[in-house]
Amino acid sequence: MSKKLSGISKTIAAIVLIIIIIVAGVLVYFYYGSTQPKPTLTVYALWTGTEQYNFEQALGNFTQNTGINVTYYGQTTENLLVSVPQQLANPPYDVDVIIAPWPYWISDNSPYLTTVNDVVTESDFPANIINPVKDESGNLWAAPFKLSGKPGFWFRDSFFQDNGLTVPTTYDEFKNTLLPAIKAVPGVEQAIASGDTVGWPLSDTAEGFIIGLGGYQLQLDLEKGPSARNWTDPQVENVFGNLTDLLEAGYFSTPADWEAQLAKLWDGKYGIYWQGSFITTLPEIQDVNDLDFFPFPGTNGVSGSVDYAVITKDAPHLNEAKQLVQYLAGADAQEIMVGQGGFLATNVNVPSSAYTTIDKKVVAFMGEPGMTIVPDLDDTIGGQWQQTFWDQLKLLWTSPSTSTMNNVLEALQTAAIQQQGP
Amino acid sequence: MMKNKNKNPFFFLRRFFTVSRLFLIPAFIFLMIFVFYPIVATIYTSFFSNSTGNFVGLGNYDFVMFRGVYPLINVPNLLQGTPPLGGLINNFIWIAIHLPVVVLSGMFLAVLLRDVKGGTIIKSIVFLGVVIPLVVGGVLFRFIYDKDAGIANAFLSLIGLGGLTRTWYAFADTALLSIILGSIWIWTGFGMIVYSAGLQGIPVELYEAAEIDGASRWKTFWRITVPMLRSTSIVVVTMTVLWELKIFDIVYVVTRGGPGGTSDVLAYEMYNVAFFGGNYAAGSAIAVILTLMTIGFAAYMVTRMSKP
Repeated sequence: MSKKLSGISKTIAAIVLIIIIIVAGVLVYFYYGSTQPKPTLTVYALWTGTEQYNFEQALGNFTQNTGINVTYYGQTTENLLVSVPQQLANPPYDVDVIIAPWPYWISDNSPYLTTVNDVVTESDFPANIINPVKDESGNLWAAPFKLSGKPGFWFRDSFFQDNGLTVPTTYDEFKNTLLPAIKAVPGVEQAIASGDTVGWPLSDTAEGFIIGLGGYQLQLDLEKGPSARNWTDPQVENVFGNLTDLLEAGYFSTPADWEAQLAKLWDGKYGIYWQGSFITTLPEIQDVNDLDFFPFPGTNGVSGSVDYAVITKDAPHLNEAKQLVQYLAGADAQEIMVGQGGFLATNVNVPSSAYTTIDKKVVAFMGEPGMTIVPDLDDTIGGQWQQTFWDQLKLLWTSPSTSTMNNVLEALQTAAIQQQGP
Repeated sequence: MMKNKNKNPFFFLRRFFTVSRLFLIPAFIFLMIFVFYPIVATIYTSFFSNSTGNFVGLGNYDFVMFRGVYPLINVPNLLQGTPPLGGLINNFIWIAIHLPVVVLSGMFLAVLLRDVKGGTIIKSIVFLGVVIPLVVGGVLFRFIYDKDAGIANAFLSLIGLGGLTRTWYAFADTALLSIILGSIWIWTGFGMIVYSAGLQGIPVELYEAAEIDGASRWKTFWRITVPMLRSTSIVVVTMTVLWELKIFDIVYVVTRGGPGGTSDVLAYEMYNVAFFGGNYAAGSAIAVILTLMTIGFAAYMVTRMSKP
């Protein structure tokens, strides 16, 4: 009997011991896991300077809430367009999240990205912002983050007031009254600043004319390609003809570094400057209360570009990357960004009270009845056509004439056919 | 019975794979992977369509030479003499302007500074252009040619030509020329240093004999110095032309081949077509064209060098 009891006791002892070991192991695992440092995410985007600083405030808030560190690396446009896709196609790599403003780039690189259907609530965003990054199967490849509108010509209120200038309501007033008046102001070099270094300042200006003189549908047609509209179409020729007239009249400056041109606008060397709404946060704008804009007279549309956050397919920290993208697409992060200025939210749940005064004006303008937001032209088409567009506009700006204009439109048509088909 | 050595396969293997040749195998493997294979793959790719993968023969070459947005030879514009003329033509213009200026100024500076006090310091300053990375050189020229910040325009204003000031690289008629002028400054030091070395090799007795015979300085230069620098000149010309054919960095930084393709060159168009256009087949075609030109020219110059 005692032998049998001894055997049972040994079995029970062994079972208890095993249970203790398992429980201890689980406790150690969770304790160890909770005290381990969280991984550090790597994020790429195009922002530098003030925009980078503002973005890092939102990232800091994310880190505070989740304990997940984020390291941000600013990229050049060239790097993001050309080199980063090469990385994505050849893992392993370090980057977890990329923020890019080109829907075509996201579409081309979708084989190397992770869908975000489980991260983003589509109803939080307008359809025309979600649809460009959604494929036919309903896969959502990117989360909308920042909206930049190109609402019109920016100017200093005090410059207009001091020189008796008024905002034009028609194109005729703009061309025949305002521009000559600006040019006549002492110290002014040219009426309109033109930006360079990268190609988008000129292309944004050209889009302002396309939408303003041709209507938003014209831009949408051009984005579809020659099957919808040729660049040699009479309506397009008319738009560029008007632009060329202003260039020939010397109202535009020679293209120069776009940030330096902002500083010159502030110094009264130029009267107006077609730019995106993000400039309200830049240091060259010394007093945002003195900044204002007017839309292209008579326009029925406004070009907008969206910065989307994507998760790489072989992200080193996939779960944490999803948390970050969910955060960036959410109202909290976007409200932080909005409060810093120069940022328009894509999430519809961000209250208008969060915006600065000037940004609120931009949002109100873009939401006006009869105003249609259209995607940025060259960001939508992309590829070599975008490079050609930027390059040809520089040619038109520096050698304006009817023959140059015709050559430019022919070149754009050739490039469009080669990229988008006839 | 002794085996016939000549029929023994190992005999030939042992004769071929000597110890010294065995040491070459790692380098050979490296060359095969990183040099020969990419060359063969590039040539192969250039004969196939980028979109369909079908064999298209010389279709890609025809496209890049004549039918692209920025063809390498823009025939209509070439006939009218209005830019853009095409990347290949721009490279030839680059050679036509850059080569004689660099060769002559390099020779002139080498002769001038040969026996001058402080000549070494001046040569070092001139040579700075060669050691500066071309990307840095390009950034420098963007500043130098800038309408507001550039010293080129400041100099023009100083001498009373303020009406000519402009951002020289931004305009179709001056973009290519402004980069070429900048590249002359960058590369002249190379010619000067090579010629300086070449001058050291000319026997002093020749100059002494000429002096005794009463030859003028010009005749001494023309009849002794220039002929004796023939092989040096071939080296300078060869290296300079190869440099001009593959020029990329300075074009990329200053103008991106624009405005409107007026400063486009072979190497930049290859980059643009392949990486922005995603057309690797067309980019390969340009690469093959560039390679054939450089190999052809280099082979010709090496042949010239070996002739007396």
